[in-house]
Amino acid sequence: MDMFLYMDVDSGLHRLDPRTKLILMFMSFTIAVMFMNIIILGSLLILVTVYGFSGRILSNLKRIRIVLMMITLFSLLIWTIARASDDKVFIFSLEGLFYGIMIALKTNAMIISGMVFLSTTKIEEIAEGLVKFRVPYRGAFAFATAIRLVPMIVATSYTIIQAQKSRGLDLDTGNILQKTRKYLPLMIPTFISVIRSTNIFSMALESKGFGYSNKRTNYLKLTMGAGDYFMLFLGALVLAAAIFIKVNPDIYRDFVRQFPWSEFSAGYYNWSI
Amino acid sequence: MDETTLKQSETAPEIAIEVNDLTFSYKADLENTAIEQINLSVPRGQFVVIMGPSGAGKSTLASSLNGLIPGFLKGRYRGEVLINGQKVKGREVSEMAREVGLVFQDFEAQLFSTNVNLEIAFGPENFHIERDEIVRRINKVLKTVKLEGFEKRQPATLSGGQKQRLAIGSVLASYPDIICMDEPTTDLDPIGKLGIFGIARELHESSKFTLLIVEHETEEALHADRLIIMKDGRILKDGNPDQILRDVSFTDEVGIMSLHIPSYFNRVLRINQENLPLDPEAGASMFQEKELVFSEEKYSEIIKREDDRDTSYGDTILTVKNLVHVYPNGNKAVDKISFSVREREFMAVLGHNGSGKTTLVKHFNALLAPTEGDVIIYGKNTRDHSIFEIGKDIGYVFQNPDHQIFADTVFDEVAFSPKIRGIGKDEIKERVHEALKAVDLVGYEEHDPFSLSKGERQRVAVASILSARPKIIVLDEPTTGLDYREQKKMMELIKQLNAMGHTIIMITHTMWVVSEYAHRVAVIRDGGIMMDDRTRNVFAEEDRLRESYLRTPHIVSLSNQVGKTVLSLDEMIACTGGSD
Repeated sequence: MDMFLYMDVDSGLHRLDPRTKLILMFMSFTIAVMFMNIIILGSLLILVTVYGFSGRILSNLKRIRIVLMMITLFSLLIWTIARASDDKVFIFSLEGLFYGIMIALKTNAMIISGMVFLSTTKIEEIAEGLVKFRVPYRGAFAFATAIRLVPMIVATSYTIIQAQKSRGLDLDTGNILQKTRKYLPLMIPTFISVIRSTNIFSMALESKGFGYSNKRTNYLKLTMGAGDYFMLFLGALVLAAAIFIKVNPDIYRDFVRQFPWSEFSAGYYNWSI
Repeated sequence: MDETTLKQSETAPEIAIEVNDLTFSYKADLENTAIEQINLSVPRGQFVVIMGPSGAGKSTLASSLNGLIPGFLKGRYRGEVLINGQKVKGREVSEMAREVGLVFQDFEAQLFSTNVNLEIAFGPENFHIERDEIVRRINKVLKTVKLEGFEKRQPATLSGGQKQRLAIGSVLASYPDIICMDEPTTDLDPIGKLGIFGIARELHESSKFTLLIVEHETEEALHADRLIIMKDGRILKDGNPDQILRDVSFTDEVGIMSLHIPSYFNRVLRINQENLPLDPEAGASMFQEKELVFSEEKYSEIIKREDDRDTSYGDTILTVKNLVHVYPNGNKAVDKISFSVREREFMAVLGHNGSGKTTLVKHFNALLAPTEGDVIIYGKNTRDHSIFEIGKDIGYVFQNPDHQIFADTVFDEVAFSPKIRGIGKDEIKERVHEALKAVDLVGYEEHDPFSLSKGERQRVAVASILSARPKIIVLDEPTTGLDYREQKKMMELIKQLNAMGHTIIMITHTMWVVSEYAHRVAVIRDGGIMMDDRTRNVFAEEDRLRESYLRTPHIVSLSNQVGKTVLSLDEMIACTGGSD
């Protein structure tokens, strides 16, 4: 089983400097957090997906398709019911449904953006990129290791689930509560295995000289090239445009007036279809 | 005075490792010493193998060389360890990495980089080596550990043997002059083992390195300069491997596997210890020289017994028809395999890491569904039945007992399977007792499984499968990580289960286990069956086995040279020693 999220493809996106990709990711996060508008967030989602497509890593999204689907489903369902609205049909409301769409777009855009970053950037590059941003090496390494740990835990729990299924544990039937109760005891062997291997892992780290000094050379050569500056420029342009409409109430109000169903942020909120 | 100091500073000290009166107890268990009064001096360039049963203190000794003890693993520490003349205590592990490279058994946990190059670069990076020099070192190390062409591969996609070689390489890149490997081959198949020993010998020949390997395989210890036998935290013997290993009564007593050849000649000829041959070739010439005779009559008795056993098997209970399995990533792990198993057979599945044997047996209890073809267990096609249903007839013991165990007590652990199947309280009690009796753990009901030894945990895992009373038991490497005595005990248990009527299918890397216990062997190679026959017939074809990098145990090799294929020491003695 493939344990890493990183996909070893030779694409322009892969060759970008990790710093560029990190900044672009944070730019997309900023836009996602800044707006509560279906059209803008929808465009962001498309933009992020195209960005991922250029790195040929969208197949990696298959691995988290359940997460993406669940988020979409739950936000649609919960907000349709939970959102306060003047015209409710029974407990459902159309406004809630649209609000749910907005939340789903926002969350999925951020998750996909993060996924694109992790799928195109080696763990070592992430660590080194952070170091270049003046994060201390140990901290950067710890962060990168945490990312590495996730697939390891998944793989271990997968084996454990198989082992328990073989003993007759029926994990496939029952409602969510019953299923949760069946899965809970499996946490014990999972944690014990993970703790054991992280212990060996840390011994192996030190045995290879980790922490010998604060100065460290790097085999990976990080250089900002023309492509990096171009992508940063594009990103900055999009972000600037986003900020521009956000800080100009008149422009934004005009825009919202055309699509009142898409907007949910305070001050502009005037929902109707 | 001046002259001597000058000499010392010119050349590295002649003694690479010096251990004086080292005693250590782990913090968690201060009452018991893990090692006691260890004295050891290893000159530069020596190749030392350390052997001993579980709990002998081998790993503790290894960890004290690079400062993991007492820096990382704390406890009570007395005595001293000197590496290249300098005290280890008080120095950082990371600093020691320049002098001592330590390789661990668990190759999964010690590799963490995205590709092979970065893995090797990690050590030198820490020591602030210039990038150009790192590139040079990577190339050199790749050559040494024979991983050229794998530069860009993710460590996770390498085979077990390649992973362990990479682990060695990643340590070598910091250019330590002492390499210590703590059971590096335990989890490896025979080909992987061979690779590691090959590297060890090459490193040794370059004479610069002092090499210390903790090992289980007695046959491999023969190649070392020096053999140290430890037990209960002490060094029992320290000397020439040939001499120590000829002393069969000693190795028997310590609980490490005695070499077959000296054991055999010791029993049939009763000659002086120093004249005992060590390997099959020397054995064969002594066999001729002493005019020993291989009795055809006795041999046909053995064959007759085997024929009888074959006819005594029950009906066909497991059928595999044209089985193909393709993983979602397109990797074809099993390619058109067909065979059948009869009730009460004892079948071993052999093959290198990644040959598809685990994928194959996971089909037997419906953990995996066939991509093409069918698997039929007691008339039930695994396609149409759930794991739960198939699981009534077939139990699967996973390789690592820690992936199975989660209860607080041994009783609950073993009771889990029957409980989940809705069996009444009294019968559960009865079944748990029966299962614990079979694995010889009666009286351990209230113990916490995690406080038991690896061998005991493995037996708890078997008991927890037995309590469901499956007719077929599948075991994935039941002896890995156990010492010789524990392995023997485990195998006697499985043999007994087979005699009680269970059909056994076992994946293993351990050749003597196959030879002495399995009735039938299937050799899997690249997803297909290469050989499938009675163990005796398979082991007669040493050359073909060697193609799959499998080697027969010494006694089998000897018998193949002087007569017919025997499978154990006892058979050999029965066939040749009965004349006088």
